[in-house]
Amino acid sequence: MPSTAQILDWLTIAKPYIIMGLVVAVWPLVSGYIVLMERKVMADMQVRLGPMRVGPHGLLQPIADALKLLIKEDIIPARVDKWVFWFAPVIPVLTALTAFAVLPFSQRYFVAELNVGVIFILAMTSIGVLGIMLGGWASNSSYPLLGALRSTAQLVSYEVAMGFAVVAAVMVAGSLDMVNIVKHQQASGVWFIFYQPIGFFIYLVAAMAETNRAPFDMPEAESELVAGFMTEYSGFRWALYFLAEYSNIFVVCSIATTLFFGGWLRPFPNVAWLNFLDWAPAVMLVGVGAGCLYLAGKQLSAANKIGMGVLGAAIIAVGLAFGVPMVIDYVSGPFWFLFKVAVMIYMFMWARFTFPRYRYDQLMQLGWKWMIPLGMANLLVTGVLILVKMQYWSAK
Amino acid sequence: MTEAETVYRPHPEDHTFLDSNEIVINMGPQHPSTHGVLRVVLRLDGEKIIGSECVIGYLHRGVEKIAENRTYVQFNPYVDRMDYAAAVSNSLGYCEAIEKIMSVVAPPRAQYVRVILTELNRIASHLLWLGTHALDIGALTPLFYCFREREEILKIFENYCGARLTTHSFRIGGLQYETYDGFEKQVNVFCDDFLHKVDEYETLLTGNRIWLQRTKGIGVISAEDCIQYGVTGPVLRGSGVKWDIRKAMPYCCYPDFEFDIPTGQNGDTFDRYIVRMEEMRQAVRIIKQAVAKIPDGPIMAKIPKVIKPPVGEIYHSIEAPKGELGYLVVSDNSTQPYRVRVRPPSFVNLSALDIMIRGHLVADVVAVIGTIDIVLGEVDR
Amino acid sequence: MSLFRKLFLVDLIEGMKVTFGYQNPKYIYTEQYPKERPPVSERYRGAPRLNINPENGETLCIACDLCALACPENLIVVGWQRGGPDGKTGKKTLTNFTYDISRCMFCGLCEDACPTDALELTQDFEMANYSREGAIWDRQALEEGPRPTQYKE
Repeated sequence: MPSTAQILDWLTIAKPYIIMGLVVAVWPLVSGYIVLMERKVMADMQVRLGPMRVGPHGLLQPIADALKLLIKEDIIPARVDKWVFWFAPVIPVLTALTAFAVLPFSQRYFVAELNVGVIFILAMTSIGVLGIMLGGWASNSSYPLLGALRSTAQLVSYEVAMGFAVVAAVMVAGSLDMVNIVKHQQASGVWFIFYQPIGFFIYLVAAMAETNRAPFDMPEAESELVAGFMTEYSGFRWALYFLAEYSNIFVVCSIATTLFFGGWLRPFPNVAWLNFLDWAPAVMLVGVGAGCLYLAGKQLSAANKIGMGVLGAAIIAVGLAFGVPMVIDYVSGPFWFLFKVAVMIYMFMWARFTFPRYRYDQLMQLGWKWMIPLGMANLLVTGVLILVKMQYWSAK
Repeated sequence: MTEAETVYRPHPEDHTFLDSNEIVINMGPQHPSTHGVLRVVLRLDGEKIIGSECVIGYLHRGVEKIAENRTYVQFNPYVDRMDYAAAVSNSLGYCEAIEKIMSVVAPPRAQYVRVILTELNRIASHLLWLGTHALDIGALTPLFYCFREREEILKIFENYCGARLTTHSFRIGGLQYETYDGFEKQVNVFCDDFLHKVDEYETLLTGNRIWLQRTKGIGVISAEDCIQYGVTGPVLRGSGVKWDIRKAMPYCCYPDFEFDIPTGQNGDTFDRYIVRMEEMRQAVRIIKQAVAKIPDGPIMAKIPKVIKPPVGEIYHSIEAPKGELGYLVVSDNSTQPYRVRVRPPSFVNLSALDIMIRGHLVADVVAVIGTIDIVLGEVDR
Repeated sequence: MSLFRKLFLVDLIEGMKVTFGYQNPKYIYTEQYPKERPPVSERYRGAPRLNINPENGETLCIACDLCALACPENLIVVGWQRGGPDGKTGKKTLTNFTYDISRCMFCGLCEDACPTDALELTQDFEMANYSREGAIWDRQALEEGPRPTQYKE
């Protein structure tokens, strides 16, 4: 019979593997629900209802979609480069999931604490473009080729701007370690967005371009290139590209949260009288549950009413469980992290549904003529200020 | 040699630094933004367009030939199916052409109702254009706002004549249906709401820097070129030519109303956009005047049961939402027309596509196709 | 002023305000069609119907053939016979009436031509069918109303 200390020891060793397994197992489903969220947000902004037919309020739609994509016929066009065509969609998924390894969901939950965490993520997301390029090339067709060309140029040029923005934030933190960056914010009591508003803006724009989101969705601009590099893909391979895209969105939003919004910290982590914010997870979940119960009454069929009601009750139960003081400590970190990421993703969607699309050359101009010089200037000013502060500080 | 290459004949001035860079690409007939089944064969240098050719006819139904085998009354529903986004305008043009050859004038009340419905249809057509044009340029949301307002117009059509899209609302000599109770009120309510909605579209698009970058200086066509190619409608007015058949060759009861003809200066996509937005406001102005002074009286002129126009031919054109829509009708004093030739605005305007997109990028092609505002049902007939 | 607008992205923010405002559920315009049935207007031109006289249950159609003549698509076929004892004289009576809705464009010309209000385009708009033959309605279908092929749970 192992002692309690031994079990704890094993748990500490096993923790990264457990989190890893959880992410790999749960992430496809979560990304499916991000797609649903996107469709619902889009529908709301466009005075529509969005998916409503599968499950209560359309909540089972991602599962139906995933099943459909899984059992769809696997079409490989005749004149493609078969092996590359087969392998290309795997690359972006792999790299995106690898990047998850260094995301600190909270002080406790992360797979690895790398001292070059930020660089690791940037490296991983950059390799992802290889999958897009190969996919576009292997398809042996004009639209995918154009999409891949655009994608390569776009990702390479915005990588630079993104780098400048990230470096500015890293300079403020004085560390490349994702966990340490958040700890610095906790120590200074201020989110870095207040030190780096311009850096954040550049990061936001570059991140949208990096993840091929509108208004920078050149590589898959539907009205121009049909589906860009994905035109010849169908079924599960297409789903992999989709998964990679949403994983990338999650990753870049996580970086933004970590660098600029204090990661897992609640707002004003050091102000004692705001401690009631620790109850936010419980309150929010109960609120969502109540919303579900309210919507249950509006469902049109009996099965959906019951389903929505059960869901609402379950969410309320979980929310109440989160209200237990002992549990709060464990859930508030991941809650705030995921909440901030969700808000960031919402921002992405909001921009997507409001703005027209840039043209390819205008995108390049924006990147090279505005974003990169702005990023450099921001970096310069940040460096000078830090230097001045250090001089002043050491003189004192 | 592929089919696309044989179809395309290069322009003598087209030569690039590296010929190996050239790609021939087929845009359409199954492409999300060629507005139906238009096929454009593009020759690209990278993404730059060095030549293009439109291939049309995928939606050809032989409407003009059908006309020769139907009576004058029976052909009326078919004209709705040419420009199905503006069915009422088509119907107006056809009915007026036949009335002209028969020397019949529709009663004033019928004319006023015709003007109201036609102008509503102009708004509906422009809304469809705005939504799809914005969608082509990447703004997803205005499409749904436009369709919401368009839905209100279609509801008015449905209440008036029982159909929403291919309305068959007018008959030769006047109207078949008297207006329903609350017609004026519904139209007025729509007009009042709609002006705010137009402002909203302008907030979403006109001021937006991305929209400006995507539309200013794109697809420029000069006034001379427009006239050379026979381009009419908002495309012509966007280039600065003040030509609107409602003013130039008035028909129906348009002289009774006050309205302005908006024009642009540069002849680019942005000017055409502004012209159409202003046209929607002017259409609201006309509708309000018409609803305010709609006269009482009969809705059908005295016409014989069997329509047999005297021998002769007539050309009558109206200002459809897309440009000059003309009907040439040749009659041999039988119940069926000897020949009906339609001058569809979309078809003529489409011929200017090539000079408008040459030198631009692929992304601009969809913007220019959108700004010409074609309906393939009308191009192919 | 325009520099201020440009620098602080006022044009973009104004647009985002519009889309954000429309998220209020009260603006939702969609109908959940099969579950919520939209009302169609009184004059709606939908599925055809042959009216019968409610007092004696006889058809109002006098087999005058005017609808068949008015139809641009020639899709109406009126079957009739003379009501006299020899079948050659006397009043025309209706025997059969076929209406091919697969070719119909719902222009309403037949309805306008009918002198007795027998043929009418109704507010019914569900005419789905699994076969083309199902789209050709005979007299019985026209009098009893459409029988759309339904998906049953």
